[in-house]
Amino acid sequence: MSSVLDTLVSQPYKHGFVTDIESETAPKGLNEDIIRMISAKKNEPDWLLDFRLQAYRHWLTMAEPQWPNVSYPKIDFQAISYYAAPKPKLKKSMDEVDPELLRTFEKLGVPMHERAALAGVAVDVIFDSVSVTTTYKEKLAEVGIIFCSISEAVHNHPELVKKYMGSVVPAGDNYYAALNSAVFTDGSFCFIPKGVKCPMELSTYFRINTQDSGQFERTLIVAEEGAQVSYLEGCTAPKFDTNQLHAAVVELVALDDADIKYSTVQNWYAGDENGKGGIYNFVTKRGLCKGRNSKISWTQVETGSAITWKYPSCVLLGENSIGEFYSVALTNHKQQADTGTKMIHLGKNTRSTIISKGISAGHSNNSYRGLVKIGAKAEGARNFSQCDSMLIGSKCGANTFPYIQVQNPTAKVEHEATTSKIGEDQLFYFQSRGIPTEEAVSMIINGFCKDVFQQLPMEFAVEATKLLGLKLEGSVG
Amino acid sequence: MTTTAVHPYVASLLAGSGAVPKSPAAWLDARRAAALERANALAVPTTRDEEWRFTDLTPLTRLQFQPVAAAANVSAADIAAYAVAEAAVRLVFVDGIHVPALSQAGSLPTGVTVELLADALKKHGALIEPHLAQLVKNDNDLFAALNTAFLQHGVFIHAAKNAVLKAPIHLLFVATRKGAASYPRCLVLADAGSELAVIEDYVALGEEACLTNAVTEIAVAPDASVRHIKLQRENSQAFHIGSCAVTLAKDARYLSHAVTFGARLSRNNLSVTQAGEGAHAQIDGIALIGGRQLADTHTLMDHTRPNGTCEQSHKTIVGGAAHAVFNGKVFVREGAQLTNSSQQSRNLLLSDKARVDTKPQLEIFADDVKCAHGATVGQLDADHLFYLKSRGLPEAQARNLLTYAFGAEIIDRIPVPSLVAQLEKYVMARTEAGA
Repeated sequence: MSSVLDTLVSQPYKHGFVTDIESETAPKGLNEDIIRMISAKKNEPDWLLDFRLQAYRHWLTMAEPQWPNVSYPKIDFQAISYYAAPKPKLKKSMDEVDPELLRTFEKLGVPMHERAALAGVAVDVIFDSVSVTTTYKEKLAEVGIIFCSISEAVHNHPELVKKYMGSVVPAGDNYYAALNSAVFTDGSFCFIPKGVKCPMELSTYFRINTQDSGQFERTLIVAEEGAQVSYLEGCTAPKFDTNQLHAAVVELVALDDADIKYSTVQNWYAGDENGKGGIYNFVTKRGLCKGRNSKISWTQVETGSAITWKYPSCVLLGENSIGEFYSVALTNHKQQADTGTKMIHLGKNTRSTIISKGISAGHSNNSYRGLVKIGAKAEGARNFSQCDSMLIGSKCGANTFPYIQVQNPTAKVEHEATTSKIGEDQLFYFQSRGIPTEEAVSMIINGFCKDVFQQLPMEFAVEATKLLGLKLEGSVG
Repeated sequence: MTTTAVHPYVASLLAGSGAVPKSPAAWLDARRAAALERANALAVPTTRDEEWRFTDLTPLTRLQFQPVAAAANVSAADIAAYAVAEAAVRLVFVDGIHVPALSQAGSLPTGVTVELLADALKKHGALIEPHLAQLVKNDNDLFAALNTAFLQHGVFIHAAKNAVLKAPIHLLFVATRKGAASYPRCLVLADAGSELAVIEDYVALGEEACLTNAVTEIAVAPDASVRHIKLQRENSQAFHIGSCAVTLAKDARYLSHAVTFGARLSRNNLSVTQAGEGAHAQIDGIALIGGRQLADTHTLMDHTRPNGTCEQSHKTIVGGAAHAVFNGKVFVREGAQLTNSSQQSRNLLLSDKARVDTKPQLEIFADDVKCAHGATVGQLDADHLFYLKSRGLPEAQARNLLTYAFGAEIIDRIPVPSLVAQLEKYVMARTEAGA
């Protein structure tokens, strides 16, 4: 049985190919001139350049964090190119897009226009660092929703960007957030005005294409009073041998009665079975429930990247606000994941739920690290956390580091964690019913992750189920 | 012994270490010297150290502590309240120094030895050498290094093969003097098939600030069993830092009950290593604190061999502006298959200013294991309160009863009736006073 498992575990990365598009790349290295160059290229206003420079100067004073339970060779920040744009510049319609690029999407199985039309999804495609095309913008504009690249937003809606950017993740928040604030090149901006329920799921595709170009997106989603939005993010990246750094910042702001749902399926190149290559995914994601009765929900399925280091968090400031975190993190071969969430309860009667499922196989290491903090004024706050781990094979590791800090006696915090493996009994039961091992494993794992998959929008749930199957089929022996 | 302390406060603590007399064993002198070197190199941990993230030692560093040359005058009446009727033997230390007049030598079964460490070193050096200052690691632990540097006063407890002593051995450490630092050390060795129970009891007379930095090392041989009851009921000005390291051989059992009521700032480190297959550990803890107290418990359960089991339950009751900290690590090493380890951290907050930081931590490197941990923080259950009130109990009394019951669950598991009665009386009195 183990040989079956081995072959399944060692499935080659299906999305590993390089698209041959000439890119316009900045020289390697990071200094104030490069930042000025990025800002000038993007024709940015002075206040944004100041924001970048301040972040850069702060970054210089900071040290790389050492506390995550991951190990990797030191990153040479001067060996990275901080700006790469596909040469054929912005196109008005899909027809004008480089056919090479379209073929890339084809290979990825994302027939964008069809998919967009069929599923009613507006796709803001990010290819390396510049938005290539934005669809459905007009339809969204009808109801007053602004959905565009952050560079466009800087030009067309500077007051909104200025007001909210950096309000949830300050420029100096942490090492990688500061770096991002200094050099971010593109990303998405989404603004849902008062009382509007977004008529469709919003989604973006991120890909890292040029070798050695780190990608530093910045996403900002603002939902005004009573607004509602569901945002999807999916990722794949081509195969490279040198490690690539990805340090994104995502900020969500929910005002009174607003509801933001942010879903991610991440399947970046994880390196080969010896741990060579792969993406370093060091991301800062944070949502601020600013208003009363607001709600922010994070759902993530993390299956790729050599190293995943992210903690999508909720700051529950408004009274009765709700934070949710649903996560499936799967690691195989030499992958390392240190991921989890932070729920910071500041307002009265705030509630949060954390459901985290970690699956480790091969020689991988999977850690859950979470913080539940109940501030002194968070009367009646309530948290429930559950983090379950599943180990496949005896060479992998599963760790949990939950931090619980409570400063209010009326709070109620519960945390549960379990560790298990796929039992022989379970497999035997399936086999006795005529279900082959591979399929049985896939079913057991999907059952293990069901609580999280249920939270994903339909099309993502399908993709995620397939993804886990692909990555893990038969890795039990 | 050439270096000097890098950190000024460590230097002040180490000032008296030169007065420690040479021991009868050269290896011990070498270990003391190495520990001194280590202490010299280390700084007082700050909240930037992950291990001390929630426990700020600044209040400690504002005061000066030195070991005393002679024990203060303490009468038998002064410590009568701490007597444990069931005890087979009682050794009393005042400000870290043994006081024979207060101690009671009982009759011990053959094979069981309870002696002062200094005496035992002369007679049983070969038995002690593999364990003393070997189980507790100094490398990154300033306080363990300090204790070893000052290693002089302590107790040696040994049970030979198949020797059984049901009655507990009572070690009473009494702190009395302002500014006194004591560095007690206990070594417990249980040979194959033996059984022992030890009560380590730390109390303080008066309300003076003193520092107790205790280290206990316990080695349990195959099929042996050690019950370890640690009580810390010092005064509200005291500083208490205790470390205990336990190693369990094949099928060995270790049952721990840690009770923390006292001290302004206390830190309890317990590290249990299952070095043999099929070992079992039960780790109970209760902290009842109020006022401005801080009680920090760090435990480490290290499963290195297959079939080990561990049950851990840690409870805190936190009133006033007190602060409870719990960090429980469970390691399941590669190869420790079929481990079954569970851990519970339950915390009861009684007031607005009370604070709890808890961090149960699991690190698992074997796939066929059963591990679970849970943590809860909350206040008394409204339904439970309502039930009691519906039976005619006044609100305050209902609250006290529930608080008491929460703590009693841990205390009741100590199989020493007179001690349980003492502790429960204390919990009752304290809950009635509003913790």
